[in-house]
Parts: sequence; C-alpha cells; structure tokens
Amino acid sequence: MLDAIRSKVDRGERLSAEDGRTLFEHPDVVAVGQLANTVRERLHGDRTYFNRNMRIEVTNVCVASCLFCSFAKLEEGAPGAHTMRVEEAWAELEKRMDDPPSEIHIVNGLHPGLPFSYYEELLTGFKRIKPDVHMKCFTAVEIHFFAQHYGMTHREVLERLRAAGLDSLPGGGAEIFHPDVRTRISHDKATADEYLEVHRVAHGLGIRTNSTMLYGHIETFEHRVDHLLRLRALQDETKGLQAFIPLAFHPDGNGMRNLPAPTAVDALRTVAVSRLLLDNVPHVKAYWVSMTPEVAQIALRFGADDVDGTIVHETIYRAAGSRSPSGLTVEQLVRLIREAGRVPVERDTLYNVVREWPRAALPEAAVKVKDRKASRHLEVVS
Amino acid sequence: MTDERLRVAAVGYLNARPLYEGLDREPASARIRLDCALPSEVARRVAEDEADLGLMPVAAAAAIGDLRMVRGCAIAARGRVRSVVIVGDRPLEQMDEIAVDLSSRTSVILARLVMRERLRKRSAPRLVGMTPREAIAHVGERRGALVIGDPALEIEGRFGYVLDLGLAWWEMAGLPFVFAAWCGRPGAVAASDEQILERAKAAGLERRGAIAAEHAERTGLPVGSLKSYLETAIHHDLGDAERRGLERFFQMAASEGLLPRARVRFYDEDRRTAPARESIDRLLVRASQGERLSAAEGERLGEEASLFDLGLAADAIRKRKHPKGVVTYIVDRNVNYTNVCTTSCRFCAFYRPLGHPEAYVLSREELAKKLQEVVDAGGVQILLQGGLHPELRIEWYEDLFRWMKREFRLGLHALSPEEILHLARLEGITVRSVLERLHAAGLDSVPGGGAEILVDRVRRKIAKAKCTSDEWLGVMRVAHHMGLRSSATMMYGTVDTARDRIEHLLKIRDLQDETGGFTAFFCWDFQHERGTNIEPGDHGTLLYLRQQAIARILLDNVDHVGASWVTQGPEIGQVALRFGADDFGSVMFEENVVSSAGTTFCMNADGMESRIRAAGFKATRRNVHYEWLTPPA
Repeated sequence: MLDAIRSKVDRGERLSAEDGRTLFEHPDVVAVGQLANTVRERLHGDRTYFNRNMRIEVTNVCVASCLFCSFAKLEEGAPGAHTMRVEEAWAELEKRMDDPPSEIHIVNGLHPGLPFSYYEELLTGFKRIKPDVHMKCFTAVEIHFFAQHYGMTHREVLERLRAAGLDSLPGGGAEIFHPDVRTRISHDKATADEYLEVHRVAHGLGIRTNSTMLYGHIETFEHRVDHLLRLRALQDETKGLQAFIPLAFHPDGNGMRNLPAPTAVDALRTVAVSRLLLDNVPHVKAYWVSMTPEVAQIALRFGADDVDGTIVHETIYRAAGSRSPSGLTVEQLVRLIREAGRVPVERDTLYNVVREWPRAALPEAAVKVKDRKASRHLEVVS
Repeated sequence: MTDERLRVAAVGYLNARPLYEGLDREPASARIRLDCALPSEVARRVAEDEADLGLMPVAAAAAIGDLRMVRGCAIAARGRVRSVVIVGDRPLEQMDEIAVDLSSRTSVILARLVMRERLRKRSAPRLVGMTPREAIAHVGERRGALVIGDPALEIEGRFGYVLDLGLAWWEMAGLPFVFAAWCGRPGAVAASDEQILERAKAAGLERRGAIAAEHAERTGLPVGSLKSYLETAIHHDLGDAERRGLERFFQMAASEGLLPRARVRFYDEDRRTAPARESIDRLLVRASQGERLSAAEGERLGEEASLFDLGLAADAIRKRKHPKGVVTYIVDRNVNYTNVCTTSCRFCAFYRPLGHPEAYVLSREELAKKLQEVVDAGGVQILLQGGLHPELRIEWYEDLFRWMKREFRLGLHALSPEEILHLARLEGITVRSVLERLHAAGLDSVPGGGAEILVDRVRRKIAKAKCTSDEWLGVMRVAHHMGLRSSATMMYGTVDTARDRIEHLLKIRDLQDETGGFTAFFCWDFQHERGTNIEPGDHGTLLYLRQQAIARILLDNVDHVGASWVTQGPEIGQVALRFGADDFGSVMFEENVVSSAGTTFCMNADGMESRIRAAGFKATRRNVHYEWLTPPA
C-alpha cells in the first residue's frame, strides 16, 4: 500500500488526498515516518532549526468560545481574566535584555474592550526597547477580529500593524478548517476562508506567516487531509507560508475534557503526513510545548526540521494540562537536537541562519551527551 | 610501565596444550602474556576486550562474530575424537533425555546437528543441563549423557552404547571437525605473532608424549591412551579441509538458528585483501527472517543502522513472533518492602542505611492495605522487591510469603537475584536452597532486576558491592532449572559502551539457549537524579528506541520484549510499541525506586489500553506467564 506512495515520494511527485488518508490510516507509523524522513532530509539534510523567542499572551479575555480552549476567559473581571497594561508586556522584554530573544510571539484572546491603538502601542514599545526584535504577532483569527471590530479591511489592519512594528504572523487559529468540525468547536470566530484570506492578504503584502492544525479531538483523518490540502493550495498561490505546526489537542479544563488527548504515535504520524502532503511548505515544526521535548526529539526523525524556540513563557498549553516545561534554554534545545543526531541551527524568524552548531562527531547511532540530565528532567526556565 | 604484550587466553585442557606449550617461556613470553581459563571465560575475555587472542571454542567465536583465526592451528578431529561422546545403555534412537553440560556450546550444537541427521523426523531426546559427573550418574533407562573432555576418556569402555561425535560428523559431512581455534579481533595479531604461535605448536607437537605423561600422572588415566589421544584422535592443523569442515558446521548451525551465520577468515587474508562487508539492509533482512546475529553484527546495527532500519526490523520480528497484533499489559503492583540496603550502588537514590531516620520495613498492615488495593483494582500479581536488609532472615520471607498467599489471591513475582544471593550468604546456604524454600512458601517467579549491565568491568564501577554477572546469571539458571520463570532486564546509560550492551544481550541469549526460562526482556536508561553519585552516559529517547529494537533483533530466543513506559514516559513507551515491543508493562500503583530518582509517571488500565490501540494493536491483560486474561480488544 505504501509502495505506490513511496515511488511517488522518490520521484518528487505530489501526493493526493487519498494518499493522505492512506498514510494516516497505515498501521505502521514507523514506515510512514521513514517516508517523511526522506523528504525532510532531501530538503534540510540534518539541519534542525530553532530560535530564541519569547511568548507573551497580553490578554486572555476572549469573545470566542472555542470548545478546545482552556485559556480564554469570556470577559474582563471573570475569575482568572487578565489583561496586561502595555508597560507590563514591555517589562517582560526589558527583564530579558541581558540575553534578549530575537523574536516576540504574541497571541491573545479576542478582547472586545481594547482600542486598536493598544496593539499599535504594544508593537511600537517593543521596537523601542529592541529595534531589531522580530514581532511575530496576532493570529489570522485576531486580525480578522480586528477588521470586524474596528471596521477595517484585513489589508488596512495589517498595514497599520506593520507600520507599528509587526513583522510576521503566527499560525494559530487554524484549528480544523472543515466546516463540519469548525462549526462545532469554534463557531464564533474566523471561518476557514476568512483565516486563509488573512494569510493571502498578508502574503500579498510581503508578510510571511506560519500555519497550524489542532488535531486529535473530534476530527477525522479525512478532515486533517482536507485541512492540509487547503493550506497546500494557498501556498501554491502565495508561497508565503514558512512553517506548518501540527498542534495536539490537550483536554484539561476545556469544553472537550471528556476526550482523550492524542497519543505520541498520533503526534508522530501527523508530523510525518504533514511533511509528505505539504510539499510546498519549507518547514514542519515539532512544537515541543505541544508534544513534550521527548516526542519532539523523535519527531525530528519523522519529518520535522524545526523545534520552535526557547518559548519562555508559554501559558496556553499549560492551561490545558501540558506537562512540558514552559521554556527551554538554548543549551537544552541544542542538546535535544544533537541527541537526535541532527545539526542544530539557530535561525531568526525568517529562517536566516544566526549560528550553525558543528555536527556532532558521532552519528545518530551513538550520540553521547555526557554533561546532561535525562531530557525529561529539562529544567523549567522561569 | 604498562605491559604491552599480546594478551593471550587459552583453554587449559589437555588437547589444547600442544598449541600453547612454551608460550609462557622465553622467547615467546617477551611478546605474549599467556593465561589459561575455562572455555567460556576465554570467550568472555575476547568479547570484552580483556584478551587480544583466545584459543576458544568455535561456537563462541561465531557468537562474537567478525573474528579472525590464526591459520594452521586448531583443536580438530578427522573421525573418531574420543573426548566428545554420547553414551548410554541403549542407542540414541531409544533415548528420551540426554544429560549434558549445556555451557559446552560447540559440542552441544554438534550433538544437536548429529541427532537431527540421525533421527530425521523422529523427535530428538531432550537435553538436560547437568555437571559432567551428574550427567554420567544420570545414565539409565532411556537416559543418555553427552560427556566431554577428561570425563569422556575416563569412562571409555564403561557404557554399552557410545556415539563418538567426531566420527559422526566425519560420516555426516566427510570433513574434519574443528572444536577450537585461535581467534581475535581483526588486526589484533601481526604476522610475527602468528610465527610465534606456529613455533609453539611445532614444539608442542614434539612434546605430546611428555604432555600425556604429565596428564596421566595428575589424573591417573593411562598414559598410552592419552598419548594416542593427543597424537591420533586429536590433530592440531587448520588447513583447507578443516576450514571447509568448520564452514559447513557454521552453515548448518545457522540454518537451525543455533548460531549466527559465520565465515572463517584468517588474519593473513586480511593482510592481503580487505574483508567483504555485508550491507546493513541485508543484515536486517536476515534478522527479520529469524536468523541469529552475532555480537559483531549487533554492534554494526548500533553504529550504522538508522532509527527506521532498526524500528522496522524489530517490528517485523515482533510480528513474526506475535502475528495477532496484540500487546499485553499486567495489572500488578511494585511493592518495595524495605529501603534498607547495604550495597550503596552509585546510581540508586532509593536505599537508606540501617538506622537511618527514613529507613523502613513495611508492616503487615501497610502491606495488607497495598495488596487489598491491588485485588480491588483487579490486579493479578505483586512484584515484591527491596534492599539488602542485613537483619531480615529467610524465615521472615517465608512467613511473609505464606501470609500473602493465604490472605490474597495474587501471583508473587519476588526478589531479584541480588536479594536471593544476599539471603544465601546471610543464611550460609545455597542459592538453590533459598529458592526452594521460598518457592515452597509461595514464590511464583523471579523478577529480572539488578542485571544492570552484565559486564563486570561496568558493574564494578557502578555497583561495587553487587553480585558479578556470573552470579546474577547463576541465580537465574538455578531458578529456571527449578521451573521458575523470570524476566531479564538491562539498565544502560552509565559507564557502559555499545559493546557492553551487546555483550549483555548475548549473555542473556546464551542462558536462554540453556534454560528457556526468560519470559521477557525490558531495558531502560539510568535515571539520573540528586542523591546518586554517577554521571549519566549514553542516553536519550532515540537511544532508548534503538536499544530496545536492537534487543528485539538480537534476543531471538526470548518471546517477549516490553516497553518501559515507567522510565521513558507514556509517550515514548507508546512509540516503543512500534520498535519491537509486544508488552506495555504494568499499570502504575507505585514504583519507589525509579520515582525517588525523579521519574514519576502515572497510567491506569484505560490509559494503557487506549495507547496500545492508538499504536495500532489490540490490548489484553496478562499474567506473569504472558497468558491472556481477557479477550484482546
């Protein structure tokens, strides 16, 4: 069954929706991973990317009521609801100026009560503190919300934010595009077409973006394939996607808490099939916050070529019960990558190489890292 | 100044002496440091790089793999050999059982091949492990013995039926049989060293009469018989005919799955042409088809095979052994009855010395509560282990076991070899007596903990006070002979090398050939944490998956391989199911030893089953014998 797909992969041919379903359903995840690995190595060799980034969620107040979310609070004043003053957000960067991140990644709730200038000011302030910091901020869902809420077009929103300091968009909010699923899990935010349109407009403006897929809840493999192919079609059109990030659903404390979390085998399979179907997207991330650093390490042999970054200080997955640490040091990321027999490459947000670590002297088979604790004991950076 | 002489080990038997006589004297001794040892010890030294060259049994050489031989020197026979015989009161066809020292692997394999040839479709007699004296005494109605070495010469003429295996091989293959030869790693021996060995042999052959006389004096055997044995039955050449005979033997043994596939390669050939190397793909295909791999081939897998190569081959082997796609797990509980321990292993964060404020011995009340919880949760077994408590006598264990068996219907998987040895020492009785008493009191099976790495160089560094590899294996041998099953384990990631880990697996495989008593194999990496006094070595999740896959590939005679989710986490544990494991271990009630090193994961039966299914298998509960307790679903 995999033979036909393997020969397509060897010839560099595009895979079909049916191939995608076959890959998702194939019982032997290792064989699927091996296929994805050949593509990954064809594209990137052993190079494995990461960056020094910093996550800030400035508000968890959100008008949307997504079933999978454990983070958002419906209104200001609700227990646990919190909105940072811009100065508080800036202070997060100021605290870290002795070892500053190259990227600030901001994702928020859809707050109904903030003026648009709040976001502009937020961006401007970060750039004032560190002019060369890359601002990867606001998902397409937020951009769409801004457009509706403040009465602008997507293009106007993006242009004003860019003028204030926005550099690129993160990929969140994609969830599952197919309406059968989307209407059930996040009915009151941007639709699939709106999400894709924001990316299309951003790409047209020269703003690069990432994209994601939240898998492992009520969707079927068919829905996942549909999702991936919609992204592939957009990318054929715009070439503006840099990286695709599969995100595992975590069930704690949200509207789908009765569902089991997807397992590690599903995580590896999803990384692998994403790599195989998204033949036009340069990078596939093993987002360690979503899959744990241990599984992310294996994913580097199942199609992923990027582990995201140091993150410090993630709160969305933690709210949903993730037991991954909330941040890793550069040293820990380098070790994680080298233990997988790969070559660590520190990048900036646009995948320009900042530093390439030398290849470990030993092959994958015999990587030794003498001075570290087992990776599950990676210390939380706080 | 360090001794840079060639480290040479030789079997100390009579028939070997003509090959090494004079090596311990000038001028040879200026270059060669000679030690004599038992055959298994010679092989171990070469395998563990404690000897450069060994005069060793050829089966051991095949198991190590990729060794070179010194052309011209061997212990061989063209026809009747006299010292390797099956004896009995009736012919082979009428024997049900043959007693044998199972550690003499070359002769045991030869016996199996000869029996297969002679008996064809009739079922071959069962081989039962015994010492040579016991084996001879064992001979009787429908019972024979395979007798090797001096004891074989001693009993010449005593039994009505004698099958000389040298002669049997000659009749079967038309070629000489080679029992032992000088073997070492590629490049270990120079041409000049080979000349020294040739000269030693030439001198030794001249002295055969004297050697026979000395041996006769020591053993009381007739000198004439010994002299003709050395000069006529045994010969010491390794030429083309011997090479063909040896290759035929290797090929037949490999096709029966008794030995890894092996070739004969001489040192002088390496000096002329580079040896051909089989591709890793080919190697893995052979392994997937059920062929046995050598230690050298195992090492090559570790060095050259990709994660996928290993995973797919291990998965294929898992599928051959367990074609129904079922992964088992057990509902049991690990109870650590005491944390008092006298060994102070450098990697352990669990033990406390006697009298320490945190030292404990569980009371009956505490135990009863824990055991009742297991019964209530539908559990079937208790895994009972503890430290080496200096004051708990065997009666304490007997009482405890009887009480547990009386009060709770639970299997008792208890006391690792280290604890059994400790009890034997404490009581001044044999391991067998300890096991017999505990078995009578309720012991059902023996856990395979404490194996760590069965290479003494490693054990001395990480757990100086613990038993040796041979002691650990010896306890398992006794337990298996008594019909008690056990698991086998490996803890790597301290000072061990890839070669040590392979050596560990082969020691388990060898004992399994002898006893068949191991049910399953589990491995994990050293869990480093505060309170331990040793640096972590090779580890990481990828290495775990590779290591488990290599174990599945090499341990062709062990039925089950388990994924150690307790140490690797439920995520990696699940992924490991696709790297050769067919068992998911235990649900978690508690596991004091690993959790004091900071690893705390929890998983209940639902979590186990859903992960098993999500990995593409059916799930079922099992008992210690890996029997299914529920229909797989």
